Amino acid sequence: MYRYIYIIPEAIGRSVLRMCASIGSIAIFFYDFVICLFTPPIYIKSLLSQLVRIGYNSLPVIGLTAFFTGGVLALQIYVGGSRFNAENIVASIVALGITRELGPVIAGLMLAGRVSASISAEIATMRVTEQIDALITLSTNPMKYLVVPRVLAALISLPILVIIADIIGIMGGFVVGTKTLGFIEQSYIKNTLDIIELRDVMSGLIKAAVFGFIVAFMGCYHGYNSTGGAQGVGRSTTLAVVSASILILASNYILTSLVFTN
Amino acid sequence: MDHILKINELSKSFGDKSVLDNLSINIERNKSQVIIGGSGTGKSVLLKCILGLMEPDSGEIFFNQQIMDKKNRADIDFHTKIGMLFQGAALFDSLNVQENITFGIKKLESNLVNLTEIAVDKLKKVGLDSSVLYLYPSELSGGMQKRVALARAIARNPELLFFDEPTTGLDPIMADVINNLINEVIEEVGATAITITHDMESAKKIADKISMLYKGAVIWTGDAKDITSSNNPYVDQFIKGSSEGPIKINLND
Repeated sequence: MYRYIYIIPEAIGRSVLRMCASIGSIAIFFYDFVICLFTPPIYIKSLLSQLVRIGYNSLPVIGLTAFFTGGVLALQIYVGGSRFNAENIVASIVALGITRELGPVIAGLMLAGRVSASISAEIATMRVTEQIDALITLSTNPMKYLVVPRVLAALISLPILVIIADIIGIMGGFVVGTKTLGFIEQSYIKNTLDIIELRDVMSGLIKAAVFGFIVAFMGCYHGYNSTGGAQGVGRSTTLAVVSASILILASNYILTSLVFTN
Repeated sequence: MDHILKINELSKSFGDKSVLDNLSINIERNKSQVIIGGSGTGKSVLLKCILGLMEPDSGEIFFNQQIMDKKNRADIDFHTKIGMLFQGAALFDSLNVQENITFGIKKLESNLVNLTEIAVDKLKKVGLDSSVLYLYPSELSGGMQKRVALARAIARNPELLFFDEPTTGLDPIMADVINNLINEVIEEVGATAITITHDMESAKKIADKISMLYKGAVIWTGDAKDITSSNNPYVDQFIKGSSEGPIKINLND
């Protein structure tokens, strides 16, 4: 009977300890990453290939998502705004919504699904097939060779992708606004340009850099610490995507609070 | 006696399970030392501790009379003086054969020499020609992958070569080919070799000396030719592959 009294506290205690261990492990991984980031060698060739893989190859996915998101946003705002005769705010809200929020968040989440998963699966496979051990025996620091180029590439790529996503997203709103909702093209463009400030775009780019870091870092962390063969590879991939997505949404709230509340 | 590697009272546990238990072994220079033992006796953990892929709980490892711990393993440039053939070859999937073979060389001599020439030369040593130079690991058979991995292991002319289960997963003929190659490259490179295996045919073929591990400790060491007359019941049971004897298999392990 007494045994059952301890089951719930024990389970809670175990979860808390596991969480503390995970946080500690991520902190150590981050510390190693920072040390490797600022010490030579830097693998330029690997960085360039990751820029292509993470940045360039993600363009179609992020472009398409941004276009449809802009279009849907225009439709929703038009429908909602018409309830209190405020249809004219469509261009302004689409521009602000895309640059401040949806551009970076949608791009970040798409990158988490596409890149975090692939980074994690690749590094985890290297772990279980002893390729990471082989790197060490060939005098190569795996953190410098595998992690630094990927994280740097995502950190550089995502802000550029977000600028493109912003333009395509606003264009999506423009197409829907002018072709479906009957806005005049010139006035739609004028309203868009009038409302956007540098601060709106910059805040989106700061978010993008943070999200880019999160996406690649979580992919690398879970892949690098993968155990348990093929099942472990699958588990690390899932963990990478889930943790990157949650961290993107949580850090988005924190960054928005910091940038826009004062 | 000239020992390239000395291991003193090495211990390593995972939780309650002791894998290496005060293990001591000396490796003679320019000899081929094979370490045999059943699954779970600590062979792979020993290798990982020597290579610095795992930190032992206690004990010392000396390479060329210099102690190797986490700090000075880099100082004495240990990894540039060794070559390692992994059980599954561990070739880098994203690199072709040439890039795999010369991966470690680029770190050593950045200004240099024709890497393709080196790769072709090493491929020749393992019985392959330049036609595989630009193939990727996924395009090679298991035996070819092992040969390319062997070429990578000898690419830097190492002092010390490690072989982890070199014949596992190969058919008997290919296993014999790999054993012959190992003998040839050891002689040609002039390196000391440490092989861990449970394949007795392979052990007899490539070993000058054999040590047997049981429960994380060395229970017998001797010349390869003496293994059949060791008078050690554990060794006798192991080389005969008999389930009867002092080694009890715990099916729950």
